[in-house]
Amino acid sequence: MLKGIGASDGIGIGRVMLVVEQSLEYVPKEIADTDAELARYQSAVEAFCAETVEQAEAIRKSTGDKEAEILEGHIAIIKDPFMNGEIENLIKAHQCAEKAVDQICQMFIDMFNATGDELTMQRATDVKDIRDGLLSILLGVQNVKISDAPAGTVLVTGELTPSMTAGINKDNIVGIITETGSQTSHSAILARALEIPAVLSVAGATTCLSSDEQVIVDGNKGEVITAPTPEQIEEYASKREAFLRERRELENFRGRETASADGIKYELFCNIGTPKDATKAMAADGEGVGLFRTEFLFMDRNSLPTEDEQFEAYKQASIIMKGKPVIIRTLDIGGDKDIPYLGLAKEENPFMGFRAIRYCLKNREMFKSQIKAILRASAFGDIRIMFPLITAVEELRMGKELVEEAKADLKASDIAYDENIKVGVMTETAASGVIADLLAEEADFFSIGTNDLTGYTMAADRGNGDVSYLYSPLQPSVLRMIRRIIKCGREKGIDVGMCGEAAASPMMIPLLISFGLTEFSVSAPSVLKVRKNISKWTKEEADAIAEKVMAMTTEAEITAYLETIV
Amino acid sequence: MVSKKLTIVNAQGFHMRPASTFATAMGKYSSNVTLKVNGNTVNAKSLMNIIAACIKCGNEVEVICEGPDEVQALDEAVGMIESGFGE
Repeated sequence: MLKGIGASDGIGIGRVMLVVEQSLEYVPKEIADTDAELARYQSAVEAFCAETVEQAEAIRKSTGDKEAEILEGHIAIIKDPFMNGEIENLIKAHQCAEKAVDQICQMFIDMFNATGDELTMQRATDVKDIRDGLLSILLGVQNVKISDAPAGTVLVTGELTPSMTAGINKDNIVGIITETGSQTSHSAILARALEIPAVLSVAGATTCLSSDEQVIVDGNKGEVITAPTPEQIEEYASKREAFLRERRELENFRGRETASADGIKYELFCNIGTPKDATKAMAADGEGVGLFRTEFLFMDRNSLPTEDEQFEAYKQASIIMKGKPVIIRTLDIGGDKDIPYLGLAKEENPFMGFRAIRYCLKNREMFKSQIKAILRASAFGDIRIMFPLITAVEELRMGKELVEEAKADLKASDIAYDENIKVGVMTETAASGVIADLLAEEADFFSIGTNDLTGYTMAADRGNGDVSYLYSPLQPSVLRMIRRIIKCGREKGIDVGMCGEAAASPMMIPLLISFGLTEFSVSAPSVLKVRKNISKWTKEEADAIAEKVMAMTTEAEITAYLETIV
Repeated sequence: MVSKKLTIVNAQGFHMRPASTFATAMGKYSSNVTLKVNGNTVNAKSLMNIIAACIKCGNEVEVICEGPDEVQALDEAVGMIESGFGE
């Protein structure tokens, strides 16, 4: 078995077609007749554009406008007056066209790669593709025709270029394996758009695999199974069927409201860790962000982020979400998340120690700059503030006081913010569950963090194999905690969401509907599944299930029962 | 010479499509059009130079136009950036 990155879900079973890049080596020459060489270059550009237009049309038909635009971008690049001018200048200075194209393209490839910015670095792939295309034309090299691949072909190549993708007939190509590429590379985006299972970054794929050998591509797990046994083929063929069936079903839920079978509406949000994740949330049809973790801003660096830096990140997320609700959780460090430059002391018991809101309230300047950044971003959309690890009403009060102070500062400086910004509590400690009635009086919303709530309620570390059997949100104690938090919040008329993993659990969903949860926040890939699961139940059915479950006395009994209903 | 400072509002910043539309639009003018961003000066008629400047959402850019049709050029440039390239 070969391991890589699963970049496009699904399973493909087929035979390898190796696409090895042709040598594009050339011998640089001094050119005497520069006019003739310029004409040769220009006709290569014309041929390249004509070929690209044709490929873009093919890909528009097979895949869509967006993918065709990538190729049309190649025409825009090659027509760039600055780049063309530089290439022509080199030719006028007696360089051969091959050398001129190569040198100038390489200059831009290096320039783009030097930015360290992922989006810009991806453009380097386009320039490389253009250079190879132009050199192939100038050198008269013939490339393997991917469009001729027979049915059941697994494409194996170094890097999937947009021009290669143009030749893909998705009825015939059942899988893609490449040696380079990441989740966000062109190869991945194109493979997903074509709905072809893909495993990228498989080291040595073009040397390990040979043409015509049978392989299984598991894009879900990022695995390539070589020399599969008949049993494996059978196993994966049925996995493939199940996957395709589910994909078809889930797509029906895209663009729909999230509602129970009897029409009660729910909010279905996403959990994100960076502004860029917001793009995934939008693509996954998320209706907002229920948990924006802000630790990324503080990690992998040597000093605190500035207020401006934070503001830009929060604003960006809100703009990407097109003004939909974005709940920003203030810094949650300590516990298992260390930030070296903060110089946190080593603790005997970090999960019970100096972390999250406790740390922030003791470091008011740092905390205030985060709150100000969030407030400033609130001028750009529906942004809400959430405090983690609240265990006592005073913590919420102190946090809210700081919000008011920050508002006064901004007002004094004439900076815009949302005066009515909602301030809520992440209910994730046993204490917050027990005093949910008191917190509900002063919080604008609750969001249940089931991961920590389960750990703190059960006093069990899920990472410790000896006690992890205790760690389950289906424990009667945890379910009572969840039910209580929702009830207390709803009685005071505030929204109660859930941003832990349990919100996406099919077994949990009927219980949450019955308890009265108003918002589910899940990872982007779970959105459609959760919407489908919510739509399965009426309130009445959910109530009947919850009534049975809450009368049961052990987690084992509850799990066994819920397994029969999902 | 005319100029204006603006903030990039579209989520993806000056990526491929906006950069290409922008460079093509600016190419029509005989004035010189440059962008000042993050301390760099960029030829706004060159898609490649705009991409290399790595202009992100939230960045401040100054559009500078100089030449016979500088007012019209600045007008169109500002309109495109402010509208977030229709995204």
